Amino acid sequence: MRHDTVTRSVKTGLVAFACLSYLILVGIPGRIGGAALPSLALIAALVFWFNFRRNEDFRTVPERDRGSTGAEGKPGWQIGTNHAPAANDTVPLLPAGISGLNLHLGLAAGATTGLLIAICSSVIVAAIGNGVSIQPVFDKMVPLNVAALVGVSPGQIAQADVSPFRYLLQTVYFAGAGILAALAVTTGGARLTDAARSDRLPVNLSAPKILAAGRLAGLALPIVLLAFIVLLGLPGVSAFGSNEGTVRLLLTLVATGSGLFAHRLSRPGRERRIVTVLLGLGVLMMPFVLDQFQNSVMGLVFIYVMMGLGLNIVVGYAGLLDLGYVAFFAIGAYTYAFLSAPFSSPYISNLLLLLNISPDSPLLGYWMALPVAMLTAAIGGILLGIPVLRLRGDYLAIVTLGFGEIIRLFMLNMGELTNGPRGILEISQPSLFGFAPEAFFGLLSSQGWTFLLALISSALIAIVAIRLNSSRLGRAWFAMQEDEDVAEATGVHLVRTKLLAFAIGATFAGMAGQLYAARQINIFPENFSLFVSIDALALIIVGGIGSPAGIVLGALALKGLPEVLRGVDEYRIVAFAALLVIMMIVRPAGILPSPRRRVQLTAPEEQGPPELSDGAEEDFREPLEKKAAPLNGPEKDEAQ
Amino acid sequence: MANSPLNVQAAKIDGQTAQKYLIRALGAAIFLLVAWRVITVGLAEGYPASFWISQALNGLVLGGVYALVALGYTLVYGILFMINFAHGEVMMIGGIAGFFTLQFALARGWMEGPWLVVVAALLFIMLVGMAASVVIGVALERLAYRPLRQAPRLVPLISAIGASLFLQYSVLLIFGVSPHSYRKPELISGGLRLGDVFISYTGAIIFVTSVLLMLALFFIIQRTKLGRAMRAVAEDRSTASLMGVDVNAVIVVTFVLGSALAGAAGVMLGFHNTVVKFNSGFVPGLKAFTAAVLGGIGNIPGAMFGALVLGLIESMGPSALGIPTEYKDVIAFSLLVLILIFRPSGLFGEVLSEKKA
Repeated sequence: MRHDTVTRSVKTGLVAFACLSYLILVGIPGRIGGAALPSLALIAALVFWFNFRRNEDFRTVPERDRGSTGAEGKPGWQIGTNHAPAANDTVPLLPAGISGLNLHLGLAAGATTGLLIAICSSVIVAAIGNGVSIQPVFDKMVPLNVAALVGVSPGQIAQADVSPFRYLLQTVYFAGAGILAALAVTTGGARLTDAARSDRLPVNLSAPKILAAGRLAGLALPIVLLAFIVLLGLPGVSAFGSNEGTVRLLLTLVATGSGLFAHRLSRPGRERRIVTVLLGLGVLMMPFVLDQFQNSVMGLVFIYVMMGLGLNIVVGYAGLLDLGYVAFFAIGAYTYAFLSAPFSSPYISNLLLLLNISPDSPLLGYWMALPVAMLTAAIGGILLGIPVLRLRGDYLAIVTLGFGEIIRLFMLNMGELTNGPRGILEISQPSLFGFAPEAFFGLLSSQGWTFLLALISSALIAIVAIRLNSSRLGRAWFAMQEDEDVAEATGVHLVRTKLLAFAIGATFAGMAGQLYAARQINIFPENFSLFVSIDALALIIVGGIGSPAGIVLGALALKGLPEVLRGVDEYRIVAFAALLVIMMIVRPAGILPSPRRRVQLTAPEEQGPPELSDGAEEDFREPLEKKAAPLNGPEKDEAQ
Repeated sequence: MANSPLNVQAAKIDGQTAQKYLIRALGAAIFLLVAWRVITVGLAEGYPASFWISQALNGLVLGGVYALVALGYTLVYGILFMINFAHGEVMMIGGIAGFFTLQFALARGWMEGPWLVVVAALLFIMLVGMAASVVIGVALERLAYRPLRQAPRLVPLISAIGASLFLQYSVLLIFGVSPHSYRKPELISGGLRLGDVFISYTGAIIFVTSVLLMLALFFIIQRTKLGRAMRAVAEDRSTASLMGVDVNAVIVVTFVLGSALAGAAGVMLGFHNTVVKFNSGFVPGLKAFTAAVLGGIGNIPGAMFGALVLGLIESMGPSALGIPTEYKDVIAFSLLVLILIFRPSGLFGEVLSEKKA
């Protein structure tokens, strides 16, 4: 037992040390400045907390329940689903024997981390002091970072003039963090998690009045925020000083996002209708009241929403994993560019001369080009769909990825047709009944106009997608996703169903691409890299695959928030990638999942899908871990 | 009635047969078109034979490197049925580690010493690259894939994409954007001239090393107890565990082997391309995956063969088809698409069961 505790705490310390080393290597301390050490200690405390929480249930759960921690013997994928509640229902306030153990554990883990950090920074300081240049190897490992870590000036680092007291301080910080984490686990944390696990909330939290008040507050929040945004949009109103633009953007994003939660929160019926109408009105007003910067960000967000909704048909409804979705986006954008930009390839201008049309003026306006772009993209979708009809799963993913790359490489290399890497410039703007949007009483800026168009198009696409999903075709998609052979045996025409999914998905991407081209004015092949596909896929997965509200939320989080965090732009992709992995482990169905997909994605493959609980409305109430109720059923029976 | 089960079945068979013949006809047409293009354009250019031979040698070198990476994909796929999307990044990490070891060796003057020292240093560089890749590969398995082993297939794939991005951009943040350039030691920078054909020492060493590593892997898998355990797990995981095979250990070993080969490939690719940077693993990784699919994924000799074929096609294809070399990636990806359409199980793949497809 003793030995076990020591190994465990050292392991925890090593994990924390690895996390912190990573953060130090990518240059976090220099960015945070003087607060680096406390912040890192806080992060270490979080790592300890997560680890002790797991240890804690390892210790409190009686011996006979241990066997049920999953086939692999490790919680992880199964976290939260298979914790059998402790046999005795009373949760002691402060489990006396355990607290001492946990304190030792925390102290040892913290000391390990602190010592390792101290040793590393002393080695780095010594190296810099001896004239070894670390920076050529580790790009971000500037003396400033080390200085932030040990709390002295860069000059002192350069002379290796750091007193040993500083290293001791580092160790003490982390040891303290360990004790704090241990205390948090043994007192508050343990009680909370145990209570949540046994499906009982602590008494004061489950009081119906408080819950009702919380619900009302949740419903009112987005509407208040929207009203506030409208107020801010009035001329001459300013509230946030120098960070005005960023804060306003954040407000806009939060308002839209919380609106989605409020919609989910409202009771079906009259309440939901009222909330929907209010939110719809509020969001429709946004393009008129936001400034140019926010409008441009929101426009991009909603272009991605359009793409996400289209990709959702292919991936979420039909279950065809498409990693080359950017191809259709690019086809839409380039089609519109050909039709409306002054550049014209020799091929096209020859064709035009044949048809006796002057190649100098834009061929078609935005609205006339829309069906053309959609049709071209749809044809692209079918052309991709036909050869991949027989492929499944991962193979399909790779072939579509290859297709996306092929399209991009063609755009890059076929200079005569696409102007190569120089791109197509001066794409004309969408008009409103033949007028430029600015002509309308100056109400709409050009970016606001793009945003409005994206908003309306997303709404239309969402309606089409939802209707499609509950149609006969939607059921065929669902059947196909579950099992192609069985679907075919029950009369689903696989070829037609698959091709329709590809074509419809591609059509929406084409729409999005056209709007994107109009928004960008100049487009280049590098606008259409693989990352667009990955972004689109990631946003539907993070938001909640199969659910339109989730897709909007995902787009707000993945395309909108990074704009707020412009200052830490370089960390954004790393954070996003880590989030993707963590998300898959903790909550694979997304933030706002559709009930059907949630069951599908959280159930292990071997088991049949458990019964659907009526969970859609109560989503917001669950903690960050995924809903465990439907899966816990059989295990509860065993425990009794 | 059109909807009666019998009619549906009959229509389905007809449809499938028609589709099969259509696909075969399409394949024949594409083949003829390519052959016609090669004969009328590629051969008509009148390149000398030595040109083709040097191109083929280049292709073999490239193919050898792809084969090492492709083996990693195939091994993991054979056991876990998942695409280790981050495998290209594992290779890149090997290349980065190799670069810094090379810098270290250069600073110590090992690279100007007697040839034995240089060879030892090169071996050391490769071993460090392999070790770095193994560490990353195993960490990847432990953190990003193991918790998802029971999950539906889409989930680990997304996690792998996330891991791939994470590795790429971490390297970008830690080591900077600019490419790190490998400086070859004198000993291996020359070449051998046979008539008009030039064989560079680097190329020859890369090819020989990759063949040796492949033989070693083949030996491990076919002749050792560990290899037998791996084959058993690939065949049927649960039965293997009933027979006393530690499945988790076998999976870790699979990642170790695959990552070690990828690390070696990363170092050799560094010497071959002379630069390595944060995203230099992505395209080779994709190509290696293409190679693995080409030979039938899960099939070890198939991956080696597929990689060599891919390397040859990539280096000879553009000249043979008479198109600019910028299109070599297009050729590789088109080949992937075509192979999957006409032989979804690859050149040597078994007919994939529902479980694997």
